[in-house]
Amino acid sequence: MKGSEAVVTENLTKVYGGKIRAVENVSITVHPGEAFGFLGPNGAGKTTTVSMLTAGLRPTQGSAIVNGLDVEKFPDEVKRQIGVIFQESTADGDLSGLENIEVAAGCFGIARSEGRARAKALIDQMQLTEAANRLAKTYSGGMRRRLELAVGLVNEPRILFLDEPTLGLDPQGRAGFWGFVQKLRKETGVTVFVTTHYLDEADGMCDRIAIIDHGTIVASGTPGELKDKLGGDVVTLKTASSSMDLTAVLRPLPGVSSVQRQDGTYRVKCASGERLVPLAVDACSKAGALINGVIVKRPSLDEVFLEFTGREFREEEGPTATDQAVQGLRIRGALRGRR
Amino acid sequence: MFRELGALTRREFLKLARNPAAIFTSLLLPLLYLLLFGNGFTINASSFGVTTPQQIAIFDQEFFRGAPNYYSYFSAGMVGFVSVTATLFIGANVIFDKLFGVFKRVRGTPAPSAAVFGSRLIAGAAQPILLAFFVLGLALLLGHIPGLHGLNVTASVGVLGSLEVLGAIVLLSLMFATLFLTFGILIDVPQTYFAAVNTINLPVLLTSDALYPWGFMPPWLRTVSQYNPVSLAVNVIREALFGSAAYPYGPGIYLLGLFAWTAVLVGIAIALVRRALRPLE
Repeated sequence: MKGSEAVVTENLTKVYGGKIRAVENVSITVHPGEAFGFLGPNGAGKTTTVSMLTAGLRPTQGSAIVNGLDVEKFPDEVKRQIGVIFQESTADGDLSGLENIEVAAGCFGIARSEGRARAKALIDQMQLTEAANRLAKTYSGGMRRRLELAVGLVNEPRILFLDEPTLGLDPQGRAGFWGFVQKLRKETGVTVFVTTHYLDEADGMCDRIAIIDHGTIVASGTPGELKDKLGGDVVTLKTASSSMDLTAVLRPLPGVSSVQRQDGTYRVKCASGERLVPLAVDACSKAGALINGVIVKRPSLDEVFLEFTGREFREEEGPTATDQAVQGLRIRGALRGRR
Repeated sequence: MFRELGALTRREFLKLARNPAAIFTSLLLPLLYLLLFGNGFTINASSFGVTTPQQIAIFDQEFFRGAPNYYSYFSAGMVGFVSVTATLFIGANVIFDKLFGVFKRVRGTPAPSAAVFGSRLIAGAAQPILLAFFVLGLALLLGHIPGLHGLNVTASVGVLGSLEVLGAIVLLSLMFATLFLTFGILIDVPQTYFAAVNTINLPVLLTSDALYPWGFMPPWLRTVSQYNPVSLAVNVIREALFGSAAYPYGPGIYLLGLFAWTAVLVGIAIALVRRALRPLE
């Protein structure tokens, strides 16, 4: 049922300038109350997708239903029912934290007295009470992010969109931010749609994940399901000798699905790393090889990403093709005197 | 709509109040013009050897449109001048808000485009209106300081005259605030904005009779000046301060012309801004 889901998209597509296909045929469903992670490297189409879902950008094709409302037909109604934390800071540095939230409340048509009450409550909730009357430009990065979260919650949204919310924060700031989001989920049951390229965050925070690359969804499921698609654990064995090939010794061991050798190091995919290690050490020793290092890894989302995209999951340097196309269109629009 | 407008207007005034440097510099410009520039041009009928009362009256009509000297002519023109120059940055503030993400936050809410535009227009037009009255008051005050030239009012300004002056200042400020605010909403690059503003601002001011003595204007410039909105506003102010004898029309006609300019520009702005600020880009 589309109407009862938090987010439903069908073949959602965005094409810039008739050429750059930033998002192509994205079909996803986000259930009410769940935390949905939208993963991908820079330029994959995450922010474009979020912009379409939050009624900021018109889709070229396909449909997006948010909280039962067609985004194209009811953009203002959609905006009333969602909260958005943008990738970049949007807090007004010349206003205090409290004033930033009050102004945002006013923008949702909330009466000034009610807006003030909500602002105070949110400031307390985000542990910004001490800094409530300080200008936002004096806030640290972590405080600014918490202020952004408070601003995004002022209309008591049913769905919270977080677009790379912890970008640029230190590990402590990231952990603190996610702590607030988890607490919020527990207390209000709000649906969370988060884009990130911090895989560890998505792994720990999200109920389900979709991976987007070059504008299309390449994999989706729970973090566990995605990892299971890799075929279990990865055991890395380091031997003292690089001349001896142990591939034939390791491959017949129970549960082993593949063995990759690089000099004296072997990357063995298997059903259970813990069960394989004693068997592998024993077999290698009988073959006359000395094992001097063993690493057992549960498959991580980094490996999932590598598996589905064929690339390392890392931040790309420089602007992406989509960034360049959008910037070019903006400049041309500005020169023509319109957006 | 009114709650959104109220919240966003409050933001504009809070920002203004927290920027004393901007307030100081906006006061400094007219102060320097009135103290230095105006006092440097102490021209009146006697400067040209005109001495008899009849000749002086004719000279003042012809050269300063009824004002008793250039300073009085000029200070009335300065009211129109600052009503334009004080609106120059209104659109730049929008561009900086776009660059700093603040505009994106507002656009992410259901606040109607009329509230987004209206709040900035209210705050943006309030500044030149207040500044225009500051110029009038200062010019009058300087006339009472020995050794300095000031504004000499030669007509009796009644309630109607005061309302006409107020109307001219409000309409002129509103018109240029609307124009430059629209530029700010449509343009994303500060350099492009300032180029566009200067393309409008300088020709408009230099083809008006705000500072240029009417008697020294070449005929073609007088013709152009008659339709210039700054001249229309300044005509209303000068008629109120120095009488209507030098003008072919009463202040009502000039106010009507100014209203027509403002109405046309506001109409165009509404169409463009509604398109630019539609809910979905």
